[in-house]
Amino acid sequence: MAVHEPETRQSYLVFACGSSWYAVPAESAAEVVTFPELTRVPGAPAHLLGVFAHRGEVIPVVDMGLLVAGVSQSSRRAVLVRLPRGTLALTATTVAGVSPVTGALEPLGPTGVHVHLRGPAKSGPRDVAVIDPEGLFDHLSQGA
Amino acid sequence: MGPASPVRGMLLCHAGSGRLAFLAHEVLAIAAGAEVATSARLAFRAPAGASRVLVSPTGGAVGVDALEIDAEAHPVLPAPPVAVRASGGSLRGFVLARGVLWPLVGLVEFERFLRGLGGEGT
Repeated sequence: MAVHEPETRQSYLVFACGSSWYAVPAESAAEVVTFPELTRVPGAPAHLLGVFAHRGEVIPVVDMGLLVAGVSQSSRRAVLVRLPRGTLALTATTVAGVSPVTGALEPLGPTGVHVHLRGPAKSGPRDVAVIDPEGLFDHLSQGA
Repeated sequence: MGPASPVRGMLLCHAGSGRLAFLAHEVLAIAAGAEVATSARLAFRAPAGASRVLVSPTGGAVGVDALEIDAEAHPVLPAPPVAVRASGGSLRGFVLARGVLWPLVGLVEFERFLRGLGGEGT
């Protein structure tokens, strides 16, 4: 019997960092960039690779592989997630494009960054973790 | 995010693989050697060490590997909250000088931050 999974009304930018796929609401995904050599941030945790200047704004680059799984994924590409409070660059090894996501949007874990990743969800055949941009921003900037 | 504002009179420093900028008027003296300095390298996950020491008016000291005095005005871009948190609140912004960004930190606050990392007496 086929199981009907709810489809969200939002569109998402779907991208991978290593073998893990993520989806970020398209309205928050400003652009995909190839970032230049980064400036290191004093005291930064390993997942905060550094910052770069982009159109007059200093943007922090977060290694999604290190942040989520503790495994670095070398990439010079990033998805810029723009919020009213600022912009984050999330590293991406592959960008699939904009598509709908089906499934649940429950936190994938009780603590840490996984609280701000939602699922289980799919984009086409791929299992994706849906990023809560506001929650991720809080997690990174306030430790929430 | 507000517009960039210029700042003049800085010490542009290197520490390990990192760069740092300090406002010159916050530095009372520059000394050689690093026996008692809190090493700025620690903020970049590098072993402690320094060849120059920046001394603050309150007696605090931060060791760096190299520095140059820059008298020109440069824009300061606001620091993103993620970066401010990482540096324990010592980060004031990023100076755009010589074609690259330099984290601008308060000397007293940064020295306090380094001590929190366990850098005292390096």
